[in-house]
Amino acid sequence: MKYGKLYYEDVAVGAEGPPLVKGPLQQIQLTRYAGASGDFNPIHQDEEFARAAGMGGVFAHGMLSMGFVAQALTDWAGPGTVRTLSVRFAALVRLKDTVTCRARVLAKTATGDLHVVEVEVWAENQRGEKVVTGRATLQLPTRLSSVA
Amino acid sequence: MPIALNKEIVGKEYPPFAVTLERVKIKEFAQAIGDLNAHYLDDAVGRASPWGDIIAPPTFPVTFRDEASDSAALLRDLDVDISRVLHGEQEFASFRPLTPGETLLCRTRVVDVYEKPGRTGPLGFVVREMTVTDRDNDIVATMRQVTVVRL
Repeated sequence: MKYGKLYYEDVAVGAEGPPLVKGPLQQIQLTRYAGASGDFNPIHQDEEFARAAGMGGVFAHGMLSMGFVAQALTDWAGPGTVRTLSVRFAALVRLKDTVTCRARVLAKTATGDLHVVEVEVWAENQRGEKVVTGRATLQLPTRLSSVA
Repeated sequence: MPIALNKEIVGKEYPPFAVTLERVKIKEFAQAIGDLNAHYLDDAVGRASPWGDIIAPPTFPVTFRDEASDSAALLRDLDVDISRVLHGEQEFASFRPLTPGETLLCRTRVVDVYEKPGRTGPLGFVVREMTVTDRDNDIVATMRQVTVVRL
């Protein structure tokens, strides 16, 4: 499977990375993410608490969705390539939702040895509603300088 | 009656804290996301990589917490209950991949507090930034987090 390695020369402005589909989300993943991240807000675990808080039930950590978006980038471009990632959590992700993460190249910049690609990122649920929107920059190897 | 946010908190710096990157925590984090990239999980792949070890996934710095400096500390300062908060925005900048065993220093401060009307009522926004430095005092990562409070 995957572990892409993406070269700067092979990226075109407007090109999209392969979509990453995650889910349907289960409670156990939110519990696992709470333990791994240290975010034990009961609003992601406890249905009664989440309803009493007026949220209509449990929803996923925004950071879990951001982790999915980051995975979509590193599955495409390779691990260690993400220099910046900034997102807005646009809508709640619920249990049983399927989240599809996408990325599209906005710009390419070469400054000396530094080869950077700016991408638009987003994640949408099974109804096509955007749940995460944002930007990322990827630092990529070049075919000219890469000996690996 | 909506609650009010204490804007005097802008500029507050929380106590710096050190974190040592644990191999097992990096792996747990990747597995919790379901990101099974071998560069996060397989020590042999890590050893053979340009970084000489497994590396942490891009969002791993969100695990850098300390009870005197984390979101719970912020909520105590604001006198806001956890049931009122949402994660609005998040940014990471990474200056190099992070590997197990290194000890990093985290500094968090509040950079902005503001209010805006929302679809279902007034919302407060609290913006925090964290700077993460290594033993050479080089910045290895920064984080910016917007916490939304339903007022």
